[in-house]
Amino acid sequence: MNTGPTARAAPSELAAPDELAALDGPGGLTVLARAQWPARDDDVLPPIPGFIVSSFSPLVAELAERCLRRYFGLRPADQVRGERTAVLLASTTGDLATAAAIAEAVDASRRVPPLLFYQSSPNAVVGHLTARWGLAGPVVCTSPAAGTLTDALQSAVLLIEDGDAAAVLVIVAEQGRAGAGAGAGDDHGTAMLVGPRAWPPAATRQEGER
Amino acid sequence: MKDSARHVVITGLGAAAAAGRGTGALLDLVLAGEPAFSPVTRFAVTRCRVTVAAALPGSPVLAGELAAVIADACDAAAMSSRDRAGSPLLLALHSDAAAARDPRAGQAIGGLAAGMAGRCGLAGTLRTYTTACVASSTATADAAAMIVSGQADRVVVAAGYLVDPDSFGVFDAGRALATDGQLRPFSAGRRGMLLGDGVAAVVLESAATARQRGATVLAWLAGWGRAGDAYHVCRPRPDGTGLARAIGNALRRAQVGPQEIGYINASGSGTSFGDAAESAALHRAFGPAVRHIPVSSTKSVHGHALEASALLEFVGTVLALRSGQLPVNAGFLAPDDECELDLILGTPRPRRPGYALSLNAAFGGANTALLVGVA
Repeated sequence: MNTGPTARAAPSELAAPDELAALDGPGGLTVLARAQWPARDDDVLPPIPGFIVSSFSPLVAELAERCLRRYFGLRPADQVRGERTAVLLASTTGDLATAAAIAEAVDASRRVPPLLFYQSSPNAVVGHLTARWGLAGPVVCTSPAAGTLTDALQSAVLLIEDGDAAAVLVIVAEQGRAGAGAGAGDDHGTAMLVGPRAWPPAATRQEGER
Repeated sequence: MKDSARHVVITGLGAAAAAGRGTGALLDLVLAGEPAFSPVTRFAVTRCRVTVAAALPGSPVLAGELAAVIADACDAAAMSSRDRAGSPLLLALHSDAAAARDPRAGQAIGGLAAGMAGRCGLAGTLRTYTTACVASSTATADAAAMIVSGQADRVVVAAGYLVDPDSFGVFDAGRALATDGQLRPFSAGRRGMLLGDGVAAVVLESAATARQRGATVLAWLAGWGRAGDAYHVCRPRPDGTGLARAIGNALRRAQVGPQEIGYINASGSGTSFGDAAESAALHRAFGPAVRHIPVSSTKSVHGHALEASALLEFVGTVLALRSGQLPVNAGFLAPDDECELDLILGTPRPRRPGYALSLNAAFGGANTALLVGVA
């Protein structure tokens, strides 16, 4: 649940130049759109139906939603670009609150809440957002050893250069200690849609256009 | 492709599963076709609907099992200390049950990854893949991409999962486990999956690097493909288009025709909708010819090792190709109209195909295809 106002660092820059250096190279890649959470001090994560207990999946979904809306405008993405867009979710913390809720139920010899079954995998929320947006490229979830955003961007570039995707929605989501509900105080994250410079500018589509 | 100095070869393998430790035990298990499921004794399962899994004997510790399997793979690849020190490690792991109970952990996968490369004399752990049932096949594809792009000459990929009370409890609560105690891929009457211990490691390197140091090439990773379903949080797209695109990507990369595929180690998790979707994907990718491609899911004997399963199955596929015997699809009761495939039933099939596919599908519509070529 939202724990109310907490000591929270001011939103940082979306990516420092060092991190964006991962995009330098012959690939002609750029950041097509970006978003971050929290974007302001009173930012609140919308819950996702069927996801409970933890703020992690709502955080991932909201980052994706804000970033994709800025580029594609309305859901879903157009079919040509959607089919070639991968999702790479990187998190050092992972979903701590879901893991703790499962452990708590097991230790108390209680039955684990069935809804935790699918949300215990980071893939589940990626499936949620790819279904909404029609993103049918590869799905990758990682926990980088260091430099989470830099590593995620490097992985995205590798994925594109390898050929199975033309663009990658990179999401870095970190769960704070509170973590136990939408809007928990110290969660934070960044999303970037990395793709070809040649793709049309963001949000040029109008309603009804595919 | 075959002549390219940067094509990716497999020079070392390591594995541990319910049948025991070592690649020999894994090959014996998948060829014998005797499911290794037995009552869980590692923790209490009294409140669970299902009470069996395929577990290593005793009380294995993941870090130790993983280090041993990585050492086996590096030894098999005849890697010197210097070779190891120049090889990065990619891992695939499930959430750590101990970290979930430690408020100071701050990391759901725990601290295992950080120390593993150092413990094994490797260059460093770049990242841990957590993409559920395609985590370790995704790591393998990334390792191959790193080699092809010239980012690395050699990469060690390792994955491990040991059945624990948290994952068992949540899969049981999600009604994902087969209540009849058998994992029956593509069979009528299948009731779901079962969990199993799995730890595996592979050494991938460029053909040129392997040649320079005189390493024995066990097989080559001819192709790899990945694609998403854009369909659902946990169910696969029923028409199999995502997995079919992953297969197509792997074949195109390798410049291998569908008619050259002589064995498919399927994802085959024993779920009603999952196996039907995979069968649809195979028909979509291969057309009517799929009826002549031998198919089995080795999960039927070693169970589902979650993040590690894809790598365990990949190792099993390489071992089978080299043995000239194709693994059995165990647990079969009767044909299912939704899964019209040439399943390998009863006994292993003697065959030496030039290419085999190892397929995996996961929650969130994540699909991978790894294409193995004989050396």
